[in-house]
Amino acid sequence: MKKIEAIIQPFKLEPVKEALKNIGIDGMTITEVRGHGRQKGHKEVYRGQEYNVDLLPKMKIELVVTDARLNETVKTLTEAARTGKIGDGKVFVYDVAEAIRIRNDDRGEAAL
Amino acid sequence: MMTAEKLRFDPVRALEERTAAVDAQVVSAWQSRLAPDVPAGAALLAVGGYGRRQLFPYSDIDLLVLFSSDKSAVAQKEQISAFLQQLWDGGLRVSQSVRTPQECAELHDGNIELSISLLDQRYLAGDAAVYGALMEKLPRFVHGHRDVLVRHLSQMTRERHARFNGTYHHLEPNIKEAPGGLRDLQLVSWLAQIAGTGPKAFSAPVHVPELEDARRFLFAVRGYLHEQARRDSNVLTFDGQEWLAERMALEEAAVMREYFRSARAVHRLALAALETEEARASSLFAQFRDRRARVSNADFTVARERVYFRSPHQLEAEPELLIRLIQFVARHGMRLSLEAEQKMAPQLPAVRSYFGTPRSLWPALNEALSLPHAPLALRMAYETGALTALFPELERIDCLVIRDFFHRYTVDEHTLVAMQTLADLRNEHTAPASSFAGLFAEIAHPGTLMFALLFHDVGKGNPMEGHVDASLRLVEGAMERVQMPPAERATVRFLIRHHLAMSATMTGRDPFDPATARDLAAVAGTVENLQLLTLVTYADISAVNPTVMTPWRAQQLWQVYLLTYNELTRELESERIEQAGSPEESAFLEGFPKRYLRTHTEADIALHMRLEQESRARGVAVDLEKSGSIYRLTLVTADRPFLFAAIAGTLSSFGMNILKAEAFANRRGTVLDTFSFADPLRTLELNPSESDRLRLTVERAVLGKADVTQLLRSRPRVSPPSRKARIEPAVQFDDTASQSATLIQVVAEDRPGLLYDIASTMSARGASIDVVLIDTEAHKAIDVFYVTAGRRKLDAVRQEDLRQALVAVLRA
Repeated sequence: MKKIEAIIQPFKLEPVKEALKNIGIDGMTITEVRGHGRQKGHKEVYRGQEYNVDLLPKMKIELVVTDARLNETVKTLTEAARTGKIGDGKVFVYDVAEAIRIRNDDRGEAAL
Repeated sequence: MMTAEKLRFDPVRALEERTAAVDAQVVSAWQSRLAPDVPAGAALLAVGGYGRRQLFPYSDIDLLVLFSSDKSAVAQKEQISAFLQQLWDGGLRVSQSVRTPQECAELHDGNIELSISLLDQRYLAGDAAVYGALMEKLPRFVHGHRDVLVRHLSQMTRERHARFNGTYHHLEPNIKEAPGGLRDLQLVSWLAQIAGTGPKAFSAPVHVPELEDARRFLFAVRGYLHEQARRDSNVLTFDGQEWLAERMALEEAAVMREYFRSARAVHRLALAALETEEARASSLFAQFRDRRARVSNADFTVARERVYFRSPHQLEAEPELLIRLIQFVARHGMRLSLEAEQKMAPQLPAVRSYFGTPRSLWPALNEALSLPHAPLALRMAYETGALTALFPELERIDCLVIRDFFHRYTVDEHTLVAMQTLADLRNEHTAPASSFAGLFAEIAHPGTLMFALLFHDVGKGNPMEGHVDASLRLVEGAMERVQMPPAERATVRFLIRHHLAMSATMTGRDPFDPATARDLAAVAGTVENLQLLTLVTYADISAVNPTVMTPWRAQQLWQVYLLTYNELTRELESERIEQAGSPEESAFLEGFPKRYLRTHTEADIALHMRLEQESRARGVAVDLEKSGSIYRLTLVTADRPFLFAAIAGTLSSFGMNILKAEAFANRRGTVLDTFSFADPLRTLELNPSESDRLRLTVERAVLGKADVTQLLRSRPRVSPPSRKARIEPAVQFDDTASQSATLIQVVAEDRPGLLYDIASTMSARGASIDVVLIDTEAHKAIDVFYVTAGRRKLDAVRQEDLRQALVAVLRA
């Protein structure tokens, strides 16, 4: 099992959710986050005052999939989140040691 | 209102029948287990809900076993156990206590609930003399301790309400404990019972006729819930709502609409009753509150922080008293008394019919909507039915439920919360809310903004029509009836039509794609509209549920605002009118920024063209008009150096406070300058001839016949604000904003003559002012100039020279 953690642009959340749904992936956790990578942030001038916008609003999506579905999921996600410009975000993939469904104690892939 | 047919049974009767059946079971057990052994000295009482004959399925059976003395109670312990066991074996969940009449007539700090439960006591079986002993002591006890009982009830209620955030708006409400639930219904009855109990006579349980519908509905729902869960479960879950809707043959949203109506009625009356009794129980508190009575006026009196009508029947004869009431509450932030509410109710049909005809209400309504407590006033008017008498359109959203997992509030509550969110901005001093607070402080017409918010979702009551279209259609009638002026109507239409545009941009568009800001700038048209739209969006999102406006989301909205704001100020210079209407219009308008068309009505344009005609013969034409407390001076002439500075200087020399200014030049070199200004010393109002002298002096200054420096020597001097409040001047140059001009933004402490000093400094250094946009925000002047030198952008040397000169002038 793999955990996919993706940091994406907020306006790409709906297209990503929709694309994942189309390949049968409904379950995910979404968090509003702030940060920056190479995009760095930028300065805005508003009425003669400079505003530093160094941490930009982003969305974090977390989901766990079976090993067999990893490539397809990552491909779908990145394609849906991509604009081709700086600031599109990143995807991280982790190994998952165990998954447990609290309701009935299902284990492993059965719990996904 | 919900009818008994829809409920399919009479819940009150059903509960009484169930109580009677349980009575029979309990009394029979008592007789079989206790009566043979305890012929005298013990009595059995029903208390709590059971005592009130409101026994719900699967609810506890509250019993009080009353013994004449402790001794006999100890002696009968075994029989009591056997009696209770029989009841448990018979399927009843019993909750019992054993007391003597003396114990019942004492205050137990840790168990005041016992004293309260005795209010609902009912004799079931046993020694009537023991019960008689209790009933002899009980009235004196309740009467003597009424203040303690009220304070205790009050504390319990406040704590209980706090557990539910003080609101009855929950997606899955607890219909017993939450505000507006059955406990509150009972509270109203208990408070009346405590108040009505004298030293010798015990008051019977009190039924409140206004709450009868709510009572029947809540009883029915609780009965259903207990039946479905087969236990004492009072949370109306989504599943429960679905199940209930099927039983009642209604839509789920309709069931919840009914629930919220009931909860609102109960909550309102419970709070009013609680506050009345609290005030009575604490005379010191009442005295403090009465200090506010001094704000009473010819129409209203204030006592104990509540508003009363001086002549309650006047409303029928003079319905506009309602608008004054809204103003009064909006100004002082005090609620209406229960008595005034009750006296107002029968007069509302007459009020409604009066306001059905168009009347000049907007000035008074606008004033009310601009006051600090306007949302409270509207809530008061709404909850009493007065607001729907004024605007029947709002009936469509009365307790209307939006069924999704985000909307915590009904549509009417969402509307009121949205308005409250804006009013609360006045107290926001930390980012990111403080950014929006700054915008709100700048709004010239908060009343129009509030009016738009009041109607923004009114179309949600029309499911067949898009809600925005329906809101737009409905608001037309309301605007016509209050005779809102055309400019305000246009703003309201704009805000309602586009109230979802910014949130759609936030969630669906790339903020850094230049097209995003461009598109939104095209929707907003002007900075003023953008600011209003940003505030509507802020309020609208915040009022979806209390946690939705996270700092993250607020920052996103602010970012969209900022990018669009910069786009709008940028396009001032680059977006010019290329072609317009007739050849005459074209000749006049070509070369003006496109903003001109968006910010002026056809009547304005006609006036400007007329001024242009006049200016041809005399070199200059000036128009001066007053709108509310603000004057507007419009001037058309041929462009020349020091022109803008000359007008600004002349106005300052008359003691006028310039609030906004715009200067546009067309392709033929004709300049249109507009100045909005206040007259703090009321010079023009008190001396009609001064208006003519002002107009004439401006003309002479423009034509170089009057020396502005000389005029300014006579201007009144004002002391600068304290050092703490001073604003550090900032001058920024931007060469990227426009293709042909340099943008200069100046932020400085506003003061008389400031604009003249800035403009004349620029002109003296050979900078030609192309476009100007001046704004003031309290003491802060925010000025944007697009300037050129020799028809080109300013080079670096000239920029530095001008920057130093401007900073020196601003610091002077």
